Amino acid sequence: MKRSKNIAVRNIAGKPLRSAVLVILAALLSLTVCAGTLIVRSLRSGLDSLEARLGADVMVVPKEASQKQSFENIVLQGSTGYFYMDKSLMDKVTGRDGVGKSSPQFFLASASAGCCSIPVQIIGFDPDTDFTITPWIKRSYGGELGLFDVVIGNDLNAFVGDSIKFYGVDCRVAAKLDKTGTNFDTAVFTNADTIKQLIRASLDLGMNSFESLDPDNSVSCVLINSDGTRSPEEIVNDINVHVKKVRAFRTGDMISGISSSLSGVSDVIGVMIAAVWLLGLVILLLAFTMSVNERKKEFAVLRAAGASRGKLASVVMQEAVITGLAGSIAGALLGIAAIVPFSKAIENALGLPFLTPDIASAAVPAVMSVLLSAAVCALAAAVSAVRISRIDTALILRGDN
Amino acid sequence: MKKNATATVLQVIILVLCAVMCAGSKLVFHACGAKDDGSFMTCHWAEQALFGIGCALAASAVIMLIVRRPKTKSGVALGMIPVSAVYALVPGRLINLCMMTDMRCHSVMKPAAMILGILLAVICAVYAFVTRNDD
Repeated sequence: MKRSKNIAVRNIAGKPLRSAVLVILAALLSLTVCAGTLIVRSLRSGLDSLEARLGADVMVVPKEASQKQSFENIVLQGSTGYFYMDKSLMDKVTGRDGVGKSSPQFFLASASAGCCSIPVQIIGFDPDTDFTITPWIKRSYGGELGLFDVVIGNDLNAFVGDSIKFYGVDCRVAAKLDKTGTNFDTAVFTNADTIKQLIRASLDLGMNSFESLDPDNSVSCVLINSDGTRSPEEIVNDINVHVKKVRAFRTGDMISGISSSLSGVSDVIGVMIAAVWLLGLVILLLAFTMSVNERKKEFAVLRAAGASRGKLASVVMQEAVITGLAGSIAGALLGIAAIVPFSKAIENALGLPFLTPDIASAAVPAVMSVLLSAAVCALAAAVSAVRISRIDTALILRGDN
Repeated sequence: MKKNATATVLQVIILVLCAVMCAGSKLVFHACGAKDDGSFMTCHWAEQALFGIGCALAASAVIMLIVRRPKTKSGVALGMIPVSAVYALVPGRLINLCMMTDMRCHSVMKPAAMILGILLAVICAVYAFVTRNDD
């Protein structure tokens, strides 16, 4: 094998264990920054995506549903579950002062979808009045949804034109939505007529817990936007005081729980990154100091052979930059490989909206972490480089160091 | 580092990686469990295929360690590259997985198989390159 003439490269190759430790340390620093930044960014994108999906000021649900623990996940994130209230309640709600746009939604959880034993959430909306789901669907599908046409979330493994069976009814996949990073990615959206047919089919098969339900006279929730004369808070208070059997919520308040969880996770990640960096910086400083100390005689010989003080410092700095860059690049790649492909597993584990950036966007924190980590290695080595450039050659070679 | 030491380290890494690919497909990044009626979803067969290919790769890695001739070792390493590619392609491409991509087979098994398969292929290629002139 051809041997490099560069002293720094030969030093690195000559002490593989020491070099490997430095590379691993640099990789660890880069990994924590890259993976931590990606996680925090994905959580923030997920929350933004969730906020964009809601698009209504107020949500009104049956009172019994609001007492269930899973309620927020059903309406906020598209987790599976369903509840219904009489349509007459919706008329009472929409007749209150300050209510501008309003639209009902219908929920149904499928018993199974194709090969999977896990149910999917089916969300029905009224295309004539809807103002939350339609704008989102329009980005993926320009046409009108016909009877038994469905639009599926991005995480469902089916494609446009495929047929999906719910409660024995075949539905055609009309479009596939963009990724949101929430459970809406595994939900199915359809118009009010189709979901009423599906609810009827679930009742006929005895698989719906609301046995005496009349699909034509029931809705699951009502989404409301203020007409500007009253604030969402006033509308919520008015509905909660004057309309019985329902409960109104401000969607902003519902999201605040997720937002505070996200802020907690971000803080924990921030503290972990800071701890790893502090530890890494101390270890790197020690490693470079020890590495230079044990080679004082080598450097003294080089100095005696004619190498300038700058040359000695340059050798130490080159070693640091080479090992730092190699480790940082490996760490950043590892960070991307650990976060981007496993984003769904992380989302499931955290239970929070998680929308990973695409590879091109993920490259930004990766490059940033490589530069940062390599710079820290160089900084840690700079102290040793300055010390070695000031060595007293005669003293070292005599052994009186 | 001496060339022989590099080759030995790479062989050990290959063996460990193959063992992870074999045992991991059953213990760590396995597919979804059986349905309520006891039947399995398609992802189960992808898991079985991963286990089978993982066993074959682990056997090849052991052979690589046992044989003495460097050229034979390189040949085995080169032969493992396409098998690793198949390992990476089994879940989701050669064998369909479940319908929802938030299920275990999609969120854990598929990316794990992809990363391990590619990693092994790259390390085998590096091994073959490092030992290309060995006789």
